[in-house]
Amino acid sequence: MKEFFKGITGINRVWLAVVFSVFLVLPFILSPSWLSITTEILILSVAACGLNLLIGYCGRVNFGPAGLYGVGAYATGLLLEKTGIPFAVAMIGGPVIAGIIALPVGWFCVRRTSHYFALLSLAFGQIIWAAIHSWYSFTGGDDGIAGIRTPDFLMSIPSYYYFTLVIFAICLVVLWMICNSTFGKTLQAIRENPHRVEFIGINVRKYLLIAFIIHGFFLGAAGSLYCGFSHAIFPVYASFLKGNDILIPCILGGIYNFIGPVVGVTVYIFLSKVISAYTMYWLLFLGIVIVLVVLFLRGGIVGFISEKLSPAMQRRGVSGDTRG
Amino acid sequence: MILEAEKLIKAFGGLRAVDGVSLEIEEKELSAIIGTNGAGKTTLFNLLTGGSKCDSGRVIFNGEDITTLHPYEICQKGIGRSFQVTNIFPRLNTFENIQVAVLSAQGMSKKLFSPSRKMAQEETSEILESVGLSDQKDVLGSLLAHGDRRRLDIGIALAIHPELLLLDEPTAGMSPKESLEITELIQKLARERGLPLVFIEHDMNIVFSISEKVRVMHQGRIIFEGKPEEVKANDEVQEIYLGEKV
Repeated sequence: MKEFFKGITGINRVWLAVVFSVFLVLPFILSPSWLSITTEILILSVAACGLNLLIGYCGRVNFGPAGLYGVGAYATGLLLEKTGIPFAVAMIGGPVIAGIIALPVGWFCVRRTSHYFALLSLAFGQIIWAAIHSWYSFTGGDDGIAGIRTPDFLMSIPSYYYFTLVIFAICLVVLWMICNSTFGKTLQAIRENPHRVEFIGINVRKYLLIAFIIHGFFLGAAGSLYCGFSHAIFPVYASFLKGNDILIPCILGGIYNFIGPVVGVTVYIFLSKVISAYTMYWLLFLGIVIVLVVLFLRGGIVGFISEKLSPAMQRRGVSGDTRG
Repeated sequence: MILEAEKLIKAFGGLRAVDGVSLEIEEKELSAIIGTNGAGKTTLFNLLTGGSKCDSGRVIFNGEDITTLHPYEICQKGIGRSFQVTNIFPRLNTFENIQVAVLSAQGMSKKLFSPSRKMAQEETSEILESVGLSDQKDVLGSLLAHGDRRRLDIGIALAIHPELLLLDEPTAGMSPKESLEITELIQKLARERGLPLVFIEHDMNIVFSISEKVRVMHQGRIIFEGKPEEVKANDEVQEIYLGEKV
């Protein structure tokens, strides 16, 4: 573990400390509604970073990420509602079950590349949504299930914010370690040239499947967190539109940068809340922003910034690019 | 004998790209395969390395039938190859390009929580050194000059600890100076590491200067096999390959 963190040089450590301190004091600064929005940003960031393991590191796009996000949310919600098991177990159960569901889904998806991979993953996402939506007796169907209880100490907005912050930090550290591991490096090689990787002795499908399961786990973790946050589960959590909330921030923030999706989620949620306060046509503005990013900032916001800053950072001996 | 192929046949539609090829590669062999474009040389390499499946025939490597294995399994058995069209990892730097292959050979690629930063440093550096890319280890693969990319391709093949190395036109598209450097590299690898090495080549100067054995392919068959001077003297080869008697 120590070895991993030796890679984070001085100035980045300072940045991390500053950012984390800011997160710690946010409940004392922000209004409850903005604190809720921040909680939402943290939850969605876990999902987006999980998804980016597949997009940015493997070069494969899951177009239906909300499917596994929904599985996490429903697994936790249904475990709490129907079995009465402790909250902690239900919170762990969500991502684990999402990971288990990701296994058969991934098994099919990794057999295809590029567009076909994306379309298959979208189809599976829609199947999960349809199952949740139609299975009234088990999932509550269209009505979902409301009033899911979380422990009393997590009922207040600040306490759930801190709980989310801890899970967010754990998830990002684990994901960061995976991305910077020998496994993560091999995934990057697969992204770059899957054909060549076969000829260095790597079973590409197996590696992609493992990555798919891991990404499913983290999508599920985010879904579980959101279930606890909203005290409810609805089919919309697994819908295509929810998938956009996870996918678009990855592109917005930058897929070749570990922290890109977090920045993407922050900008995305901020834009959606701020613009929607003024006009109901906020999606129009969001669309324009995405078009501009795709056309002019191919590496996303973080990619653009690190590109501009990297000469300066290199002079200081700091690696701003987490591409490699 | 390290590798033996028996009556390999591979057809694409009506065209038999490889038509009943049998060959034996000896330990410590340094040999070349020559032939006109479309003679079936690269297809033969693909059959030996699992890149395509043969319609019939067998490939035996170290006494084991590898005919139906996947490329990654064949690679794990110890056959490394480079490609006719440079085949590297463009957005990884030179060091990482080699490192991922070394990690694979060491069985380290699966480790979810082993930091790649510190892994396989020594061996990666050694391979970079032997292919002459040490001074460019931080350069992205895509930014390397053509000749250096070809070297990197060979380096990746070398990094998997092969027991047999197949190089597909290692000097394709190179300047005469670069070709000479690659030729020296091939000789060095074969001599210093005692590595059996088979390469496809169009440049006859290279073929005749370093290979101990030459196989001539024509229309999917090996029509002649022998020492360079025998190939030079063979009428049929001259007629088919060189166009006319010289």
